[in-house]
Amino acid sequence: MPRQLYFDTPDAFLEELRAQLNAGIPRRRLRARLPFHLHEAEELLIGRPSRLRYFALGGGLAGFGGGFLLAMLTSVDWPIVTGGKPIVSVPPFLLIGYLLTILIGSLSCFAGFLWLSRLPDPGPLVSDDPFDPRFVLTINDEEAS
Amino acid sequence: MTSMVLNKSGIYALLVISALLIGLTEFGLSGKPGSLLLTLLFWSCIAQGCIALAAACELVNARWIASLRRELLSLYPLLLLLPLLFLFLWPQLDLYPWTDHPTLWLNRPFFMLRNLAILLAVFLAGRHLAKRSLDGQTTGPAAVIYLLLFVTSQTLAAFDWVMSLVWPWISTLLGAYFFTEALYAATAASGLLMVLYFQGKTRDTSLAVGNHLRDIGLLMFGFSVLWTGLFFAQFLLLWYGNLPEEVGYILDIISNSPGRELAWLFPLALFLAPFILLLGAPVKQSRHMIAAVSCTVLGGLFIERLCLVMPTVPLHAGALLFYNLLLIAVALLMLHSSMHVSASAD
Amino acid sequence: MNNDISAPQVETDVLTAMRRPGPAWLTGLGLAGLLFAGGLALWAYQIMHGMGVAGITHPVGWGVYITDFVFWVGIAHSGTLISAVLFIFRARFRTSFNRAAEAMTIFALMVAGLFPLIHLGRVWRFYYLFPYPNQRQLWVNFRSPLIWDVFAVSTYFLVSLVFFYVGLMPDLAIAARHRSGRAGKLYRILSLGWTGNLRQWRHYGRLYMFLAAFATPLVASVHSIVSWDFAVSIIPGWHTTIFAPYFVAGAIFSGTAMVLTLVIPMRRVLNLQEHIPIDHIEAIAKILLLTSLIVGFSYVIEHGMAFYGENLFEMEQFRFRALGHYSLLFWIMIMCNAVLPLLLFIRRLRRSLAFLFVLSLLVNVGMWLERFVIVVCSLARDFDPYNWGNYLPSPVECGITLGSFGLFFAAFLVFVKTLPVLSITELKER
Repeated sequence: MPRQLYFDTPDAFLEELRAQLNAGIPRRRLRARLPFHLHEAEELLIGRPSRLRYFALGGGLAGFGGGFLLAMLTSVDWPIVTGGKPIVSVPPFLLIGYLLTILIGSLSCFAGFLWLSRLPDPGPLVSDDPFDPRFVLTINDEEAS
Repeated sequence: MTSMVLNKSGIYALLVISALLIGLTEFGLSGKPGSLLLTLLFWSCIAQGCIALAAACELVNARWIASLRRELLSLYPLLLLLPLLFLFLWPQLDLYPWTDHPTLWLNRPFFMLRNLAILLAVFLAGRHLAKRSLDGQTTGPAAVIYLLLFVTSQTLAAFDWVMSLVWPWISTLLGAYFFTEALYAATAASGLLMVLYFQGKTRDTSLAVGNHLRDIGLLMFGFSVLWTGLFFAQFLLLWYGNLPEEVGYILDIISNSPGRELAWLFPLALFLAPFILLLGAPVKQSRHMIAAVSCTVLGGLFIERLCLVMPTVPLHAGALLFYNLLLIAVALLMLHSSMHVSASAD
Repeated sequence: MNNDISAPQVETDVLTAMRRPGPAWLTGLGLAGLLFAGGLALWAYQIMHGMGVAGITHPVGWGVYITDFVFWVGIAHSGTLISAVLFIFRARFRTSFNRAAEAMTIFALMVAGLFPLIHLGRVWRFYYLFPYPNQRQLWVNFRSPLIWDVFAVSTYFLVSLVFFYVGLMPDLAIAARHRSGRAGKLYRILSLGWTGNLRQWRHYGRLYMFLAAFATPLVASVHSIVSWDFAVSIIPGWHTTIFAPYFVAGAIFSGTAMVLTLVIPMRRVLNLQEHIPIDHIEAIAKILLLTSLIVGFSYVIEHGMAFYGENLFEMEQFRFRALGHYSLLFWIMIMCNAVLPLLLFIRRLRRSLAFLFVLSLLVNVGMWLERFVIVVCSLARDFDPYNWGNYLPSPVECGITLGSFGLFFAAFLVFVKTLPVLSITELKER
């Protein structure tokens, strides 16, 4: 049977977490639920940074390239001189690239977040499992993990 | 090294001597007036910016500055050098095209008077702020006054010293661009100070210092983006308007050889290099990388100022080198003295 | 900051604010809805009868609608400033305002987005603005600042929406726990089944930071792009390089004032005094003061530079603004934006809610007038005296403007009763 421990304050929770880890319980047997993010808990239990940054970088680069190319290729496709500016006007096209960097970057970050944290999660909806206001430390049995 | 430590009067004497040295060189040897103007432009940006950065951080209670506050503020005597050097511009005002047909705003006496007055006011406000801050008194009003004067002074520097060289060329943003650059330069200078100062003091990279280093990196990254925004805002509008009276000056800069290459170089140094280098987290933890980026930024700023004055003002490379090396030495000596003073006070 | 308030207390305080719509709320919503309905009816009238019912005509082709667009986009800015920029700078007072300010951003952008469509005339052609492969084999003109606007405003809207929603997720899960029945179920679904396990939190923390980092440059760029609608032309009074930062500062200035206009009554009506301490309101007042100084600086530069050079058209334009047909509006604008806010240097006034509320209303008036003066004066007096003419807004334009305020306030009132107005999670963290 997994054991569940409840705490009201982050300090008590972290203290217990450290005690469990020091007692030799492996990380994979510990599960934590928090009312707000604690970096210490992340360091203790996982210890490697989130992979979300690749989504930010990838989305940003794709947005920049995509935006610039969109502006450039459509202008080349329908080449009409306006305002005496060259067909491929780099400064305004950089602006489009910049805006799409932000748009695609944020959206891909959001998508990456949903993917990495396995949301939306129908489980809690079906089983009526609420978002607990306390700090919960679950210690699983050896075989359960 | 203790023999090199100066007390307050020593520092002021040093400043007067270096100002005189520069003045003598200017009139004795070089005969090309641009070096003095460029030196003034570059060093006013750094000196006023450093104090302004400290003032802004005091106002918003920024924590990262705690480790550098003393060093930044101890540079305040440099502010006195600016009016001293500015005095030497007096015989060189023929550089400015408006001297042939003075206007209500642009005429010799008023030009000299208002610039000297604001430079002196900035020095006094900076001294007041530095004294209060180093004594541990409340600095709120002093910081606000300094910042207001700083903004006015940098704006005047942009409009009077640079823009009126090519009168009637106008960019209304140039003032704001200059004081942002001054803060950018100060952030870069803080990055350098971090290396100079913490290498000796704390061998182990304690967490607090690491965080401060990262904050400086982050701030420099932010300023690189902000700088690009302001640069682009001017570039785009001039490019779109394409009015002869506006693009003429820019064409003067970019159509002859050193300017053509340099005009590519400074956006690389002020935007692309810091932006790409500081994007990753590990770089922001490395003292030496931060220092390298800081040097790039300061170099970029120097090149940018060089580009601004080059088309209209003849420069003497040797004199320029001498002035700047001299001022770097002065600034380092002042820092060294202040470190000694603050260390003994601790 | 509020360590004396326990976590359950925070939850109940914020969530009870969502219950019991009182008569004041209903009256407010009724009034706002009425205004909005009036605006809609007038828009329908304009669509039926054509753009002739609006006062814009030759030579002033951009009038109140464009003023409204710039105004509302500006209002949106302080929401992002408070939620993203202050997050990056780790300013603690942001937690008192970020949710309301983000909601304000969304609503202001929704309202702002309507105005180009209203101004368009043939609104059913609005999709021509988007680059999509079409039978006509035409593409949009990416060299036109109006297309940059389409990209800037829609990017801004989407990013703000994602940011707002991400901030809400844990709070929706909390609200679900406190509500039973269908409402609770709905909140639970909207929270996507958030349980607060460590995996969710650690990616969430990174996501929030990245979104803040992406949104921060938007604060500076969206209104810059709006300003370039004007500044890339060569019209006197518009073609000036300071426009971008000047508009951005103005946007944050007006948006911060709007935050105060909304939060000061909200704090009182919903009994949130403990969670929005006066120190935090003072911090917002300081932002107001700072941006007012920047706006004042821009006024001085703009007017000074007109007389610095030898450009007759610029000189005449700025003489006209200060002394011409619209001089009354100009001087009200100077008073409200650059002079009265200087009173915030006095600490006692920075902490007086009544003063701040009145000032915030005046600033909004002043900033609306600023946009009006910029848009209209330059068109009314450009190069050729034969091409001069004054402009007076028609009742339809005024009615649609009032309707936009109705929509904005109605949306905000609905928000107050349906979503947690403070970030419960961040209040607990504080």
